Amino acid sequence: MTTLVRRAGPAVLLLAMWQLAAAVAAGQFVLAGPMAVLAWLADNPGLITRALSVTLTNAAWGFLAGNLAAVLIAVAGMLWPRALGLLTGLALVVFCLPLVATGPILRVMMGPGNGPQITLAALAVYYTTLIPLLAGLRAAPSVWFDLVASYGRGRLAALVHVRARASLPYLLAGLQIAAPAAFLGAMVGEFTGAERGLGVLTIRFTRDLDVPALWSVAIVAAGVSIAAYLAVGALGRRFRLERPPVILAPPRLSRGSAASRIGSATVLVLAVLALWWGGTEALHLNPFFARRPPDLLAALTSAPDAAATRQALLQAAAQTAALVLPGYLAGLALGAALAVLLFLAPVLSGLVTPLAIALRSVPIVTTAPLVVLLLGRGAPGTIALVALMVFFPTFVACQHGLGQAPGQILDILRGYAAGPLKQLVHVRIPAMLPAFFASARMGVPAAILAATVAEWLATGRGLGNLMVLSASVSDYTMLWLTVVLVTMASALCYGGVAWIERRVLRVFAPEQVDR
Amino acid sequence: MSGHQNPARLIVPPATPGAAAALTRRGVIAGLAGVAAGATVCRGRAAWAQTPVGLQLSWLHSVQFAGSYIALRNGWWRDAGLEVSLLQGGPNAPVEPPVVAGNALVGISAADYAAAAVAQGAPFRIIGVAMQKNPFVIASLPDNPIDTPADLPGKRIGMAVANTPVLQALCRLNDVDFAAIRIVPTQYSAQPLMAGEVDGLLCWETDLPVAMAMRGIAARTMLMADHGYALHSQTYIATTDSLTNRRKDLVALMAGEGRGWNAYRADTDAAADLTVEMFPDAGLDPATQRLQAERQVPLMFSGLTDAHGFGWWTDEGVQENIRTLSLLGRTVTPDLWDRSILEDVHAG
Repeated sequence: MTTLVRRAGPAVLLLAMWQLAAAVAAGQFVLAGPMAVLAWLADNPGLITRALSVTLTNAAWGFLAGNLAAVLIAVAGMLWPRALGLLTGLALVVFCLPLVATGPILRVMMGPGNGPQITLAALAVYYTTLIPLLAGLRAAPSVWFDLVASYGRGRLAALVHVRARASLPYLLAGLQIAAPAAFLGAMVGEFTGAERGLGVLTIRFTRDLDVPALWSVAIVAAGVSIAAYLAVGALGRRFRLERPPVILAPPRLSRGSAASRIGSATVLVLAVLALWWGGTEALHLNPFFARRPPDLLAALTSAPDAAATRQALLQAAAQTAALVLPGYLAGLALGAALAVLLFLAPVLSGLVTPLAIALRSVPIVTTAPLVVLLLGRGAPGTIALVALMVFFPTFVACQHGLGQAPGQILDILRGYAAGPLKQLVHVRIPAMLPAFFASARMGVPAAILAATVAEWLATGRGLGNLMVLSASVSDYTMLWLTVVLVTMASALCYGGVAWIERRVLRVFAPEQVDR
Repeated sequence: MSGHQNPARLIVPPATPGAAAALTRRGVIAGLAGVAAGATVCRGRAAWAQTPVGLQLSWLHSVQFAGSYIALRNGWWRDAGLEVSLLQGGPNAPVEPPVVAGNALVGISAADYAAAAVAQGAPFRIIGVAMQKNPFVIASLPDNPIDTPADLPGKRIGMAVANTPVLQALCRLNDVDFAAIRIVPTQYSAQPLMAGEVDGLLCWETDLPVAMAMRGIAARTMLMADHGYALHSQTYIATTDSLTNRRKDLVALMAGEGRGWNAYRADTDAAADLTVEMFPDAGLDPATQRLQAERQVPLMFSGLTDAHGFGWWTDEGVQENIRTLSLLGRTVTPDLWDRSILEDVHAG
């Protein structure tokens, strides 16, 4: 009986809070309570089931394709370490491309059908899997690699016997974040002109002001995301029977000099330009919407309105930056703090974890008006949305990271009767740092994406608004300029976080640095 | 098509003489949900290869495009040798690029967007005008109404920031101080108005006010077209290349559109029901679709279309559009409009 109460208690509490919130917000047309949602679902079982099966199928294909791509990139990077920098650089650039711009271009290229939905779902997941996977592939004691080497075996053997096993918990953390992300990616893909699916219904019900229907769709989407998250988590626990080993690695000095860093960055930029220019030419994309690098260069330098173009871009970028930075930092702090809090007080986990997943899984299109109602149309609303997007992957990663604390060291602390707080400070938080920084890096593009989406939907300022506005008036030069700017800014900030990360991890997790 | 098995549902001919004449010329009025087999419209017996043609819609499937659904369901395009696919739009869907790229023969855009695309190098011509009157309204609540442009100063107006030039143009046309209006950037939803966050919304006559009516709130709407904002909307665009090389297909496509929309006008309820039936996964509410279908009629049909046929425009109309476009910062010439396709449609 008591276990039943303990199990069902948080869920009942959440439902009660939700119903109460709906009652408070009645008349504002932003939130429907659980009763209204249940009634709507009971009335429209066929509609919602068909839409769900379409979106779920697309999300599943995207999940599969995206994660497969991540694994292939990671494996290639481990076998040819020289290519790793270029591969992850290209992967980052593709991940930083704003959905608002890639969606319509995918639609033109792929025509009607499910292509853009599956592609956007894959794009939403491959990077969040790749980064934890790369961290995991390094998370092995250096003596193990020495052992492989002493048998005269090479990188492939190290990958199969050491790295693959070491990476499993990290891979599963990535997959866990990927599951809800794939679903959201497929829904956003439907905005580009799909015939059916939950995203299509979201647009319809938003415009029809059918709040119970809108929240029913949101709840179904969130429910599926939570189920997928929990299923991957359950799978993960099967692989986590062994306690993580102590990872000792000698601190290394940075291998790359400043000159070689600049060199590899140049190679990356050239590769991106070649792919962009070559790709648009090879696919015969019409220059009306598929602009080439020289078009953009001309628009910024030699065109008669070049000065106005530059100013519009910089102004929008400044507006966006003012929202991204506080939201990003708040999201990181919140995610890490919550993971630590749940470690200290696991009782709260049953209440907080579902709420955290739900907050992240409910489509941003649905939550944006609610956040705006609570926090207003100004900066706080957008900052909150950015924080929400960054918070969840950080939270998941940090939870996994806390679990990576080496068992032997914990045993020593327990032997000295050190309490949970001491264990946390001396063992678990240092063990959490690689995961935290991995999510901090991934959070950069996510934060910029969240800000631009919020600007598009709620505030009408900044780069998000500029992108949508340019697309609507066929100003594809400006659209591509914003894409390049957003991508460059994401990549540079990412590099900045990576710089801090290297300095911190050199002390706490040297195996992650420069190998 | 499943509609073939459905019982015949004949449309009552419209009362207006011009439209009736147009329909008589076509000889037959075919059923919406499909006329029983053996009826006058022959179908499924195309002896020649069908030409695949894409029609890029500007938004999600809804009664907004019901005339096209009627033409498709009744096989009017197939009988003319066209295999038409209706490509759905959406909030992040491209409309102009598929037409430029050739994925769609015709797209549904608006005069301002077409002009913008032309300024960016797209070789577009407007070949038909579905919405004779621009559907933009300022919607407000009855206890705080905005009935004329003079009511605007001091009010908070919710809109997508992208639409600011629209309101600016309206103010210029009516000598209203734009600076005295407070613009509130909002999502495209009636929620901010109903929650009291704004006093008015810049929206379409046929969407948000309909949604409010379905929630029991009779919004006041001030149609901007009634206050000098002349701008063709839901215009059919095609490339100059298609106008030269695919005239036959364009004429057949627009003939089907005209026929479909005339049938739509004759029975908007049937058109709405057909829309809901054809797109069961689109989440369409039958009552909402019926009301929207009804409210579209005065925007799409006028004495002008009665006299000359669906989609028509005059040189004076073009001049008025050019003036509005200049207020929106777009310089265009009358060349943007090409009536030759419609002339062929309505002559034959």
